[in-house]
Amino acid sequence: MSCNFKFGGMKALLAIGGLLCVLASNATAQSSSGQLTITMNVQSSITLVFQNNPSVGTPGFCPLTNGGTNNVGLDMGTAAFPGNFHTATCVNYTHLTAADYQVSSAFDVVVTKANSSSPNYRLAAQISTPPPANVKWLLNNVTLTNTGFTALDAADAFGARITKTLQVQVKNTVAAQVLQETITFLATAN
Amino acid sequence: MLKKYISIMRGAALAALLMCGASLAAQTTATGVINGTLVNKNGISIQFDTDPAGVTLGAAGTSAATANFGTVSAFGPLAAGVTRPSVTAANFTVRTFFDVQVIQGGLTSTTYTLTANLAAAAPTGLNYKVDAITLTTALQTIQINGAYHTDIAHNLDLVILTAAPGAGGPAVNTPITTTINFTATAN
Repeated sequence: MSCNFKFGGMKALLAIGGLLCVLASNATAQSSSGQLTITMNVQSSITLVFQNNPSVGTPGFCPLTNGGTNNVGLDMGTAAFPGNFHTATCVNYTHLTAADYQVSSAFDVVVTKANSSSPNYRLAAQISTPPPANVKWLLNNVTLTNTGFTALDAADAFGARITKTLQVQVKNTVAAQVLQETITFLATAN
Repeated sequence: MLKKYISIMRGAALAALLMCGASLAAQTTATGVINGTLVNKNGISIQFDTDPAGVTLGAAGTSAATANFGTVSAFGPLAAGVTRPSVTAANFTVRTFFDVQVIQGGLTSTTYTLTANLAAAAPTGLNYKVDAITLTTALQTIQINGAYHTDIAHNLDLVILTAAPGAGGPAVNTPITTTINFTATAN
């Protein structure tokens, strides 16, 4: 009798054990794994933007159109030699000599670097087309040409505002016309 | 007597022929049974698919895919399928998209939970985000109610410090490879 009871107990234990195994099996959440491998190559880079000078709006600091980008406009209005005539109140107008006048306006250049150990950069500029005779385009008194980049600065600081003054010098013999140039600035990390 | 004997023999021969014929007829048919067994097991699998807006994955459609961002920089051009949603003084982010598809069979589960972690610590100057969740080597939950049997798009952002190499920024001009582990668990 005792032997039969023990045998029955074992069967019950086995059954419970089996049930627990089944329950445990069902309780384990199904899952699946995968791997996504990412590859890239980081490269140093710099960018150049034109900013309005903090003094924008005052004489000598005309507002840029599309400021904060690398493609801006700078309208210096209409000017003439006689009578110091100029329509833009934001430009500086001066008679350089008895036969030349100059209109100028300043703006800022900001060059930013990323992932670079370069300490500074050099800046150069070039005009797009040869100006008419007796017309000069200058930046900070450096005459620009369309035949190549003219060096402006050798070691400008990244992230700093570099104020540049664009000057247009016109002799009083120049015929009435629109004077227009696209000036390309080139910043190169040193 | 002899006639009777011959007659008996003929009868016996005829019976033998008939029996032989019956025996031959029985051998033209046969029967058999196959006791077929199939254990229908439940299961779940994950695969990575190329998202239309993202880079083309290597080994797409498998659970071990690759995503190549190509050359990335704060200001330079980027590869197709890679965008640059932000650039700050401290860092810039490049982004692509990839799809995850989880397939299940034999489960009553209707959704899954997606988790992810970096296989190793992130390289210097880099952070990896999936759906804006910054990944570490510890499991992070990306999605709690993913639908089965459909591609679900996820953002993969690489946040890259702008600092120079050696000053906290990442190595430049050298391939950087990182593996992200994903796990889909049936809810």
